Amino acid sequence: MPKWAMVIDLDKCTGCGACSVACKMENNVPIVDPEEAQHGRALFWMDMVTTFEGELPDTQVKHFPKPCFHCDDPPCTVVCPVGATYRNPEGIVAQIYHRCIGCRYCMAACPFTAKYFNWYEPQWLDEAHGIGNPDVSRRMTGVVEKCSFCSHRLQQIKEAADLEGRPIREEEYIPACMESCPADAIVFGDIANRDSRVSRLSRSYRVFRYGEDLGVKPKVYYLARRTGT
Amino acid sequence: MKWFLRLGPVMVLLVVVVFYLSLGANDRVAQPIAYNHKIHIESAGLTCTDCHSSVQSSSAASIPNLEMCSTCHSEQPISESAEELKLIEFVHQGTSIPWQRVYHVPDHVFFSHRRHVVIARLECTTCHGNVDEFTEPVAAQFLPITMDNCMECHRENNVTNDCLSCHR
Repeated sequence: MPKWAMVIDLDKCTGCGACSVACKMENNVPIVDPEEAQHGRALFWMDMVTTFEGELPDTQVKHFPKPCFHCDDPPCTVVCPVGATYRNPEGIVAQIYHRCIGCRYCMAACPFTAKYFNWYEPQWLDEAHGIGNPDVSRRMTGVVEKCSFCSHRLQQIKEAADLEGRPIREEEYIPACMESCPADAIVFGDIANRDSRVSRLSRSYRVFRYGEDLGVKPKVYYLARRTGT
Repeated sequence: MKWFLRLGPVMVLLVVVVFYLSLGANDRVAQPIAYNHKIHIESAGLTCTDCHSSVQSSSAASIPNLEMCSTCHSEQPISESAEELKLIEFVHQGTSIPWQRVYHVPDHVFFSHRRHVVIARLECTTCHGNVDEFTEPVAAQFLPITMDNCMECHRENNVTNDCLSCHR
């Protein structure tokens, strides 16, 4: 059984935000106008977090992309009263929108604020002619949503592999963020396979994980030479 | 007042019955042409995949387009049926037939015909019934598309019931 994980190399990441945009387009994530975003209603399945360190003029700006960390011991699934979020056998923490009642317990439980409440019907840019990605459901207002590791792609890849009677190849399952990253900073794959690229990188001396002390075992690893936090 | 109280439960029952009947009536779909599957399968010797060709190659099952119909029904009718004249009229006008969809899979569900037909080797009749006996057009779902029905079949056949295998 594969176990899907992601490695993000912060030494390569330029903070361009292509992953964030690609994720929005891929997953029909609502686009929120600036006034509403000011109220904390913006949704980013793949958020580009910007931090500023030091005093002016010696300020250092740091960016890091933040998807859902798909924890191995996720706190969000424990508090859900209706079983709308769970960790599947392949390690993906899923959100089943039609089961969600919008109580937002999971949002409160997530230490990484990776879950978002959907205040809006999905909207698209004019160029998209109101048509989103048909492979991803359009979430209704009043449910919690989050990064799914592009699990809809996995469904199709599994089918293609089953037709040929072979296991999934590592290079087949690529989430939209990894696909769009111009710096090749995002690596995704099966961490249970010790020979996979993601598994090798997760054992790098540069590796760290956010919230390591919380014991939730996130499956998104960061690589950085510059700092350990 | 007492006679009214006695009628109360009867009225409630009546309302419930009418409600359920109206639900049932809405489930049936009227088609533009009374297509007869039986004749096409028995007399013309067609099989399911002759017309619904994409069931083995993609997620969605296709319905035949006018070109496909016009290979047999173009100028002269080949039967006495008034329904065939309707079809020929569509062919002459070149407008596609407004078939009404009967089987709806919600957008939050990933369902693939290819997986069920090619990999699982399910017969079409398992979900769609004995279509080769249908003399009337398909108007209602044979096996209602509900999560219960999907999960029961998956359970019986030892197929995964993990939410993410179907939901998206």
